[in-house]
Amino acid sequence: MAADVGTPVCAGDRLATTDAYEAGEGVYVRDGFLFASVVGLRRVEQPAAQGGKPALCVATRGSQPLVPKPGDVVTVKISRVAQTAAHALIMCVGRQALSTEFKGVIRQQDVRATEIDRVVMYDCFRPGDIVRAEVVSLGDARSYHLSTAKNELGVVYARSAAAGVPMVPTGWVSMQCPETQTTEKRKVARLEGLAVAEDK
Amino acid sequence: MEYVSPEGLRVDGRRPRELRRINCQLDVLSSADGSAIFEMGNTKVLAAVFGPHAVTKRSDLKEDAAVVVCEYSMAAFSTGERRRRGKGDRRSTELSMVIRNTLEQAILTELMPRSQIDVYVQVLQADGGTRCAAINAAVLALSAAGVPLRDLVASVAAGHLDGTPLLDLNFAEDSGGGPDLAVALAPRLGQLVLVQMDSRLPVDTFQAVLDLARDGCRTISGVMREALLEHTKRLAVARGMVTTSS
Repeated sequence: MAADVGTPVCAGDRLATTDAYEAGEGVYVRDGFLFASVVGLRRVEQPAAQGGKPALCVATRGSQPLVPKPGDVVTVKISRVAQTAAHALIMCVGRQALSTEFKGVIRQQDVRATEIDRVVMYDCFRPGDIVRAEVVSLGDARSYHLSTAKNELGVVYARSAAAGVPMVPTGWVSMQCPETQTTEKRKVARLEGLAVAEDK
Repeated sequence: MEYVSPEGLRVDGRRPRELRRINCQLDVLSSADGSAIFEMGNTKVLAAVFGPHAVTKRSDLKEDAAVVVCEYSMAAFSTGERRRRGKGDRRSTELSMVIRNTLEQAILTELMPRSQIDVYVQVLQADGGTRCAAINAAVLALSAAGVPLRDLVASVAAGHLDGTPLLDLNFAEDSGGGPDLAVALAPRLGQLVLVQMDSRLPVDTFQAVLDLARDGCRTISGVMREALLEHTKRLAVARGMVTTSS
Protein backbone atom coordinates (compact mmCIF):
# COMPACT_ATOMS: atom_id res chain seq x y z
CA MET A 1 0.00 0.00 0.00
CA ALA A 2 2.75 2.43 0.95
CA ALA A 3 4.70 1.51 -2.18
CA ASP A 4 1.74 2.36 -4.44
CA VAL A 5 1.29 5.98 -3.51
CA GLY A 6 4.17 8.32 -4.06
CA THR A 7 5.17 11.88 -3.45
CA PRO A 8 2.58 14.62 -2.94
CA VAL A 9 2.25 16.98 -5.89
CA CYS A 10 0.37 20.21 -6.40
CA ALA A 11 -1.77 21.52 -9.25
CA GLY A 12 0.52 22.99 -11.89
CA ASP A 13 3.62 20.93 -10.99
CA ARG A 14 5.51 19.66 -13.99
CA LEU A 15 5.85 15.90 -13.58
CA ALA A 16 7.44 14.32 -16.66
CA THR A 17 7.66 14.41 -20.44
CA THR A 18 5.24 12.71 -22.80
CA ASP A 19 8.09 10.49 -24.09
CA ALA A 20 8.28 8.57 -20.83
CA TYR A 21 4.68 8.49 -19.61
CA GLU A 22 1.10 8.81 -20.71
CA ALA A 23 -1.34 11.15 -19.04
CA GLY A 24 -3.64 9.43 -16.56
CA GLU A 25 -6.26 10.78 -14.20
CA GLY A 26 -5.41 14.12 -12.62
CA VAL A 27 -2.71 14.94 -15.20
CA TYR A 28 -2.85 17.13 -18.31
CA VAL A 29 -0.51 17.56 -21.26
CA ARG A 30 0.93 20.85 -22.51
CA ASP A 31 3.86 21.49 -24.88
CA GLY A 32 5.10 17.91 -24.54
CA PHE A 33 5.12 17.94 -20.73
CA LEU A 34 2.82 16.36 -18.18
CA PHE A 35 1.47 18.69 -15.50
CA ALA A 36 -0.56 17.76 -12.43
CA SER A 37 -4.05 19.24 -12.45
CA VAL A 38 -5.04 18.35 -8.89
CA VAL A 39 -3.38 18.21 -5.48
CA GLY A 40 -2.66 14.62 -4.50
CA LEU A 41 -0.22 11.74 -4.48
CA ARG A 42 1.71 10.84 -7.60
CA ARG A 43 1.19 7.32 -8.87
CA VAL A 44 2.41 5.32 -11.85
CA GLU A 45 0.15 2.75 -13.42
CA GLN A 46 1.30 -0.06 -15.66
CA PRO A 47 0.54 0.33 -19.37
CA ALA A 48 -2.85 -0.96 -20.43
CA ALA A 49 -1.74 -2.31 -23.81
CA GLN A 50 1.39 -4.29 -24.60
CA GLY A 51 4.34 -2.07 -25.39
CA GLY A 52 2.49 1.04 -24.29
CA LYS A 53 3.82 3.70 -21.98
CA PRO A 54 3.04 3.59 -18.25
CA ALA A 55 0.39 6.04 -17.18
CA LEU A 56 1.15 8.78 -14.67
CA CYS A 57 -1.79 9.66 -12.40
CA VAL A 58 -2.38 11.86 -9.42
CA ALA A 59 -4.63 10.31 -6.79
CA THR A 60 -6.74 13.02 -5.24
CA ARG A 61 -9.10 12.42 -2.36
CA GLY A 62 -12.15 14.02 -3.90
CA SER A 63 -12.94 11.57 -6.67
CA GLN A 64 -15.05 12.86 -9.51
CA PRO A 65 -18.71 12.36 -8.69
CA LEU A 66 -20.20 9.09 -9.87
CA VAL A 67 -22.68 9.58 -12.71
CA PRO A 68 -24.91 6.87 -14.25
CA LYS A 69 -23.89 5.72 -17.73
CA PRO A 70 -25.86 3.63 -20.24
CA GLY A 71 -25.56 0.00 -19.21
CA ASP A 72 -25.29 0.60 -15.46
CA VAL A 73 -27.67 -1.26 -13.16
CA VAL A 74 -29.11 1.30 -10.78
CA THR A 75 -31.35 1.25 -7.74
CA VAL A 76 -34.20 3.73 -7.95
CA LYS A 77 -37.16 4.81 -5.86
CA ILE A 78 -40.41 5.44 -7.71
CA SER A 79 -41.68 8.95 -7.10
CA ARG A 80 -44.66 9.23 -9.44
CA VAL A 81 -46.57 6.79 -11.65
CA ALA A 82 -48.29 8.15 -14.75
CA GLN A 83 -50.19 6.35 -17.49
CA THR A 84 -47.28 5.93 -19.88
CA ALA A 85 -44.27 6.29 -17.61
CA ALA A 86 -43.06 5.94 -14.06
CA HIS A 87 -40.78 8.65 -12.68
CA ALA A 88 -38.04 7.64 -10.30
CA LEU A 89 -35.08 8.99 -8.35
CA ILE A 90 -31.77 7.20 -8.94
CA MET A 91 -30.21 6.55 -5.54
CA CYS A 92 -27.40 4.04 -6.18
CA VAL A 93 -25.27 3.05 -9.14
CA GLY A 94 -24.20 -0.56 -8.82
CA ARG A 95 -23.13 -0.97 -5.21
CA GLN A 96 -22.28 2.66 -4.62
CA ALA A 97 -24.72 5.21 -3.19
CA LEU A 98 -24.86 8.59 -4.87
CA SER A 99 -24.46 11.85 -3.02
CA THR A 100 -26.95 13.63 -5.31
CA GLU A 101 -30.10 12.06 -6.70
CA PHE A 102 -30.67 11.94 -10.43
CA LYS A 103 -34.06 11.73 -12.08
CA GLY A 104 -34.97 8.74 -14.22
CA VAL A 105 -38.05 7.61 -16.09
CA ILE A 106 -39.25 4.10 -16.93
CA ARG A 107 -41.35 4.35 -20.06
CA GLN A 108 -44.20 2.01 -20.82
CA GLN A 109 -42.29 0.21 -23.58
CA ASP A 110 -39.30 -0.40 -21.30
CA VAL A 111 -41.08 -2.10 -18.42
CA ARG A 112 -40.93 -5.65 -19.79
CA ALA A 113 -39.78 -7.51 -22.87
CA THR A 114 -43.08 -9.00 -23.97
CA GLU A 115 -46.44 -7.40 -24.82
CA ILE A 116 -45.00 -3.95 -24.35
CA ASP A 117 -48.08 -2.13 -25.67
CA ARG A 118 -50.45 -3.71 -23.12
CA VAL A 119 -48.58 -2.59 -20.00
CA VAL A 120 -50.59 -0.93 -17.21
CA MET A 121 -48.08 1.18 -15.31
CA TYR A 122 -50.02 1.13 -12.07
CA ASP A 123 -49.91 -2.68 -12.05
CA CYS A 124 -46.14 -2.65 -12.35
CA PHE A 125 -44.95 0.07 -9.98
CA ARG A 126 -46.34 2.16 -7.17
CA PRO A 127 -44.88 5.31 -5.60
CA GLY A 128 -42.36 4.40 -2.92
CA ASP A 129 -41.22 1.11 -4.47
CA ILE A 130 -37.52 0.36 -4.70
CA VAL A 131 -36.74 -0.89 -8.20
CA ARG A 132 -33.63 -2.29 -9.86
CA ALA A 133 -33.36 -0.91 -13.37
CA GLU A 134 -30.82 -0.55 -16.12
CA VAL A 135 -29.88 2.78 -17.67
CA VAL A 136 -30.80 2.68 -21.35
CA SER A 137 -29.68 6.14 -22.39
CA LEU A 138 -28.89 9.61 -21.08
CA GLY A 139 -32.47 10.52 -21.94
CA ASP A 140 -33.72 14.05 -22.32
CA ALA A 141 -32.96 17.20 -20.36
CA ARG A 142 -35.03 16.09 -17.40
CA SER A 143 -34.30 12.43 -16.74
CA TYR A 144 -32.39 9.31 -17.66
CA HIS A 145 -34.26 6.59 -19.53
CA LEU A 146 -34.43 3.37 -17.52
CA SER A 147 -35.56 -0.12 -18.38
CA THR A 148 -36.75 -3.11 -16.32
CA ALA A 149 -37.15 -5.43 -19.32
CA LYS A 150 -35.12 -8.28 -17.88
CA ASN A 151 -35.86 -11.04 -15.39
CA GLU A 152 -33.54 -9.71 -12.76
CA LEU A 153 -34.85 -6.13 -13.02
CA GLY A 154 -37.99 -4.81 -11.39
CA VAL A 155 -39.41 -4.18 -7.95
CA VAL A 156 -37.19 -5.48 -5.15
CA TYR A 157 -38.91 -3.88 -2.17
CA ALA A 158 -42.45 -2.60 -1.79
CA ARG A 159 -44.73 -1.83 1.11
CA SER A 160 -48.31 -2.99 1.07
CA ALA A 161 -51.04 -0.40 0.70
CA ALA A 162 -53.17 -2.00 3.43
CA ALA A 163 -50.76 -2.54 6.31
CA GLY A 164 -47.65 -0.66 5.22
CA VAL A 165 -45.35 -3.64 5.85
CA PRO A 166 -42.81 -4.95 3.32
CA MET A 167 -44.39 -7.42 0.93
CA VAL A 168 -43.18 -10.85 -0.10
CA PRO A 169 -42.87 -11.65 -3.84
CA THR A 170 -45.18 -14.46 -4.97
CA GLY A 171 -44.55 -14.62 -8.68
CA TRP A 172 -43.44 -12.61 -11.67
CA VAL A 173 -46.27 -10.13 -11.35
CA SER A 174 -47.49 -10.28 -7.78
CA MET A 175 -46.44 -9.59 -4.21
CA GLN A 176 -48.29 -10.48 -1.04
CA CYS A 177 -48.63 -8.65 2.22
CA PRO A 178 -47.67 -10.96 5.11
CA GLU A 179 -50.15 -9.41 7.53
CA THR A 180 -53.34 -8.99 5.53
CA GLN A 181 -52.63 -11.71 2.89
CA THR A 182 -53.76 -9.36 0.13
CA THR A 183 -51.86 -9.63 -3.16
CA GLU A 184 -50.82 -6.62 -5.15
CA LYS A 185 -49.58 -6.49 -8.71
CA ARG A 186 -45.99 -5.45 -9.38
CA LYS A 187 -43.29 -6.20 -11.96
CA VAL A 188 -41.14 -8.27 -9.62
CA ALA A 189 -37.39 -8.69 -10.00
CA ARG A 190 -36.18 -12.27 -9.92
CA LEU A 191 -33.07 -12.16 -7.77
CA GLU A 192 -30.62 -15.07 -7.57
CA GLY A 193 -31.10 -17.35 -4.61
CA LEU A 194 -34.55 -16.01 -3.87
CA ALA A 195 -37.17 -18.73 -3.83
CA VAL A 196 -40.19 -17.29 -5.57
CA ALA A 197 -43.38 -19.27 -5.00
CA GLU A 198 -44.98 -19.81 -8.41
CA ASP A 199 -48.64 -18.87 -8.41
CA LYS A 200 -51.12 -21.48 -9.73
CA MET B 1 1.47 61.52 4.76
CA GLU B 2 4.70 59.65 4.28
CA TYR B 3 4.37 56.12 3.00
CA VAL B 4 8.02 55.22 2.71
CA SER B 5 10.33 56.60 5.40
CA PRO B 6 13.84 57.82 4.57
CA GLU B 7 15.20 54.55 5.97
CA GLY B 8 13.07 52.68 3.47
CA LEU B 9 10.38 51.39 5.84
CA ARG B 10 6.66 51.50 5.15
CA VAL B 11 3.89 52.46 7.55
CA ASP B 12 3.75 48.95 9.02
CA GLY B 13 7.52 48.48 9.14
CA ARG B 14 7.88 46.40 5.99
CA ARG B 15 10.39 46.90 3.22
CA PRO B 16 8.99 47.98 -0.15
CA ARG B 17 9.42 44.51 -1.68
CA GLU B 18 8.15 42.62 1.35
CA LEU B 19 4.89 40.70 1.52
CA ARG B 20 2.70 40.58 4.60
CA ARG B 21 2.58 37.42 6.65
CA ILE B 22 0.59 34.72 4.87
CA ASN B 23 -1.44 32.02 6.57
CA CYS B 24 -3.45 29.31 4.79
CA GLN B 25 -6.01 27.04 6.40
CA LEU B 26 -7.66 24.27 4.40
CA ASP B 27 -10.92 22.33 4.80
CA VAL B 28 -12.35 24.73 7.33
CA LEU B 29 -16.00 23.99 6.40
CA SER B 30 -17.48 20.51 6.44
CA SER B 31 -20.50 21.31 4.27
CA ALA B 32 -18.50 22.57 1.28
CA ASP B 33 -16.64 20.30 -1.14
CA GLY B 34 -13.56 22.45 -0.62
CA SER B 35 -12.91 25.43 1.59
CA ALA B 36 -10.00 27.60 2.66
CA ILE B 37 -9.17 30.67 4.69
CA PHE B 38 -6.39 32.83 3.28
CA GLU B 39 -4.83 35.52 5.42
CA MET B 40 -2.49 38.18 4.10
CA GLY B 41 -1.54 40.31 7.09
CA ASN B 42 -4.84 41.52 8.53
CA THR B 43 -6.87 40.71 5.43
CA LYS B 44 -8.74 37.47 5.99
CA VAL B 45 -10.90 35.82 3.35
CA LEU B 46 -12.95 32.62 3.45
CA ALA B 47 -13.70 30.71 0.25
CA ALA B 48 -16.08 27.77 -0.18
CA VAL B 49 -16.39 25.66 -3.33
CA PHE B 50 -19.36 23.49 -4.24
CA GLY B 51 -19.16 21.24 -7.22
CA PRO B 52 -18.88 20.17 -9.89
CA HIS B 53 -22.61 19.49 -9.91
CA ALA B 54 -25.54 19.76 -12.32
CA VAL B 55 -26.30 23.31 -13.50
CA THR B 56 -29.09 24.95 -11.56
CA LYS B 57 -30.28 27.23 -14.37
CA ARG B 58 -30.75 25.28 -17.60
CA SER B 59 -30.22 28.44 -19.64
CA ASP B 60 -26.61 28.66 -18.37
CA LEU B 61 -25.76 25.12 -19.44
CA LYS B 62 -22.64 24.85 -21.61
CA GLU B 63 -22.29 21.70 -23.70
CA ASP B 64 -18.51 21.59 -23.80
CA ALA B 65 -17.34 23.16 -20.55
CA ALA B 66 -18.23 23.72 -16.92
CA VAL B 67 -19.92 26.94 -15.80
CA VAL B 68 -18.13 28.78 -12.98
CA VAL B 69 -20.39 30.81 -10.69
CA CYS B 70 -18.71 33.16 -8.24
CA GLU B 71 -20.11 35.32 -5.48
CA TYR B 72 -18.01 37.81 -3.55
CA SER B 73 -19.37 39.43 -0.41
CA MET B 74 -17.96 41.36 2.52
CA ALA B 75 -19.09 40.65 6.04
CA ALA B 76 -20.62 43.61 7.83
CA PHE B 77 -17.85 43.46 10.45
CA SER B 78 -15.01 43.27 7.93
CA THR B 79 -14.17 46.95 7.64
CA GLY B 80 -13.39 49.48 10.33
CA GLU B 81 -16.94 50.78 10.25
CA ARG B 82 -19.56 48.07 10.58
CA ARG B 83 -21.68 48.49 7.50
CA ARG B 84 -24.23 46.06 6.14
CA ARG B 85 -23.53 45.82 2.41
CA GLY B 86 -26.12 44.22 0.19
CA LYS B 87 -24.95 41.46 -2.12
CA GLY B 88 -26.02 43.41 -5.16
CA ASP B 89 -23.88 46.46 -4.64
CA ARG B 90 -21.71 47.55 -7.54
CA ARG B 91 -18.31 46.74 -6.06
CA SER B 92 -19.30 43.21 -5.05
CA THR B 93 -20.78 42.51 -8.48
CA GLU B 94 -17.66 43.77 -10.21
CA LEU B 95 -15.33 41.79 -7.99
CA SER B 96 -17.46 38.66 -8.40
CA MET B 97 -17.06 39.00 -12.15
CA VAL B 98 -13.31 39.63 -11.92
CA ILE B 99 -12.76 36.61 -9.67
CA ARG B 100 -14.97 34.45 -11.87
CA ASN B 101 -13.03 35.37 -15.01
CA THR B 102 -9.73 34.65 -13.27
CA LEU B 103 -10.85 31.27 -11.97
CA GLU B 104 -12.36 30.28 -15.29
CA GLN B 105 -8.94 30.53 -16.87
CA ALA B 106 -7.34 28.47 -14.14
CA ILE B 107 -9.86 25.64 -14.04
CA LEU B 108 -9.77 22.92 -16.71
CA THR B 109 -13.44 23.53 -17.51
CA GLU B 110 -13.43 21.37 -20.63
CA LEU B 111 -13.08 18.28 -18.44
CA MET B 112 -16.47 18.81 -16.84
CA PRO B 113 -19.04 19.61 -19.53
CA ARG B 114 -22.63 20.40 -18.61
CA SER B 115 -21.78 20.99 -14.97
CA GLN B 116 -21.42 23.96 -12.64
CA ILE B 117 -18.87 24.92 -10.00
CA ASP B 118 -19.97 27.40 -7.30
CA VAL B 119 -17.35 29.52 -5.58
CA TYR B 120 -18.41 31.69 -2.64
CA VAL B 121 -15.92 34.16 -1.25
CA GLN B 122 -16.56 36.03 1.97
CA VAL B 123 -14.25 38.73 3.30
CA LEU B 124 -13.98 38.38 7.07
CA GLN B 125 -11.47 41.14 7.65
CA ALA B 126 -10.49 43.76 5.07
CA ASP B 127 -7.15 45.52 5.18
CA GLY B 128 -6.28 46.10 1.54
CA GLY B 129 -5.79 43.54 -1.21
CA THR B 130 -9.15 41.83 -0.68
CA ARG B 131 -9.65 40.83 -4.31
CA CYS B 132 -6.19 39.26 -4.41
CA ALA B 133 -6.74 37.41 -1.15
CA ALA B 134 -10.12 36.31 -2.52
CA ILE B 135 -8.54 34.81 -5.62
CA ASN B 136 -5.89 33.04 -3.55
CA ALA B 137 -8.47 31.67 -1.14
CA ALA B 138 -10.63 30.49 -4.05
CA VAL B 139 -7.69 28.69 -5.70
CA LEU B 140 -6.88 26.94 -2.40
CA ALA B 141 -10.50 25.93 -1.95
CA LEU B 142 -10.67 24.60 -5.52
CA SER B 143 -7.52 22.56 -4.95
CA ALA B 144 -8.94 21.20 -1.70
CA ALA B 145 -12.14 20.22 -3.53
CA GLY B 146 -10.18 18.29 -6.14
CA VAL B 147 -11.27 20.46 -9.07
CA PRO B 148 -8.63 20.13 -11.83
CA LEU B 149 -6.60 23.30 -12.29
CA ARG B 150 -4.07 24.34 -14.91
CA ASP B 151 -1.79 25.92 -12.36
CA LEU B 152 -1.76 27.31 -8.82
CA VAL B 153 -2.75 30.85 -9.72
CA ALA B 154 -1.68 33.40 -7.12
CA SER B 155 -2.56 37.05 -6.91
CA VAL B 156 -1.14 40.15 -5.24
CA ALA B 157 -1.62 43.91 -5.44
CA ALA B 158 1.27 46.30 -5.99
CA GLY B 159 1.44 50.08 -6.03
CA HIS B 160 3.74 53.04 -6.40
CA LEU B 161 4.03 55.67 -3.66
CA ASP B 162 6.75 58.15 -2.78
CA GLY B 163 8.68 57.13 -5.89
CA THR B 164 8.99 53.49 -4.84
CA PRO B 165 7.17 50.43 -6.15
CA LEU B 166 5.46 48.78 -3.17
CA LEU B 167 4.29 45.19 -2.92
CA ASP B 168 1.12 44.02 -1.16
CA LEU B 169 -0.57 47.26 -0.22
CA ASN B 170 -2.55 47.45 2.97
CA PHE B 171 -5.58 49.66 3.45
CA ALA B 172 -3.61 52.76 4.50
CA GLU B 173 -1.36 52.58 1.43
CA ASP B 174 -4.30 51.73 -0.82
CA SER B 175 -6.12 54.90 0.17
CA GLY B 176 -2.96 56.92 -0.36
CA GLY B 177 -4.06 58.03 -3.81
CA GLY B 178 -1.45 56.07 -5.73
CA PRO B 179 -2.07 53.39 -8.35
CA ASP B 180 -3.30 49.98 -7.26
CA LEU B 181 -2.31 47.20 -9.64
CA ALA B 182 -3.89 43.81 -8.94
CA VAL B 183 -2.15 40.97 -10.76
CA ALA B 184 -2.82 37.25 -10.91
CA LEU B 185 -0.16 34.97 -12.35
CA ALA B 186 0.02 31.28 -13.30
CA PRO B 187 3.64 30.79 -12.19
CA ARG B 188 4.55 27.49 -13.80
CA LEU B 189 3.00 28.45 -17.09
CA GLY B 190 4.40 31.98 -16.76
CA GLN B 191 1.10 33.55 -17.83
CA LEU B 192 -0.69 36.57 -16.45
CA VAL B 193 -4.32 35.77 -15.74
CA LEU B 194 -5.51 39.09 -14.33
CA VAL B 195 -4.13 42.61 -14.65
CA GLN B 196 -6.32 45.33 -13.18
CA MET B 197 -5.28 48.80 -12.23
CA ASP B 198 -6.96 51.96 -11.08
CA SER B 199 -5.47 55.45 -11.16
CA ARG B 200 -2.68 56.30 -13.61
CA LEU B 201 0.93 55.32 -14.01
CA PRO B 202 3.64 56.13 -16.60
CA VAL B 203 4.53 53.14 -18.75
CA ASP B 204 8.12 52.57 -17.54
CA THR B 205 7.09 52.77 -13.91
CA PHE B 206 4.25 50.40 -14.76
CA GLN B 207 6.76 47.82 -15.98
CA ALA B 208 8.67 47.98 -12.70
CA VAL B 209 5.49 47.65 -10.62
CA LEU B 210 4.24 44.78 -12.81
CA ASP B 211 7.52 42.86 -12.44
CA LEU B 212 7.38 43.36 -8.67
CA ALA B 213 3.83 42.04 -8.62
CA ARG B 214 4.83 38.98 -10.67
CA ASP B 215 7.61 38.16 -8.22
CA GLY B 216 5.14 38.53 -5.38
CA CYS B 217 2.72 36.14 -7.11
CA ARG B 218 5.44 33.55 -7.55
CA THR B 219 6.30 33.69 -3.86
CA ILE B 220 2.66 33.43 -2.79
CA SER B 221 2.11 30.49 -5.13
CA GLY B 222 5.05 28.75 -3.48
CA VAL B 223 3.57 29.34 -0.02
CA MET B 224 0.18 28.04 -1.17
CA ARG B 225 1.85 24.99 -2.68
CA GLU B 226 3.62 24.20 0.60
CA ALA B 227 0.37 24.54 2.53
CA LEU B 228 -1.48 22.22 0.11
CA LEU B 229 1.26 19.57 0.17
CA GLU B 230 1.44 19.70 3.97
CA HIS B 231 -2.33 19.27 4.18
CA THR B 232 -2.28 16.36 1.71
CA LYS B 233 0.48 14.62 3.65
CA ARG B 234 -1.48 14.99 6.88
CA LEU B 235 -4.61 13.57 5.25
CA ALA B 236 -2.68 10.67 3.72
CA VAL B 237 -1.18 9.79 7.09
CA ALA B 238 -4.55 10.07 8.81
CA ARG B 239 -6.05 7.66 6.28
CA GLY B 240 -3.19 5.20 6.61
CA MET B 241 -2.21 5.57 2.98
CA VAL B 242 1.39 6.29 3.89
CA THR B 243 3.30 5.58 7.06
CA THR B 244 4.74 8.54 8.93
CA SER B 245 8.24 9.09 7.59
CA SER B 246 11.25 9.74 9.80
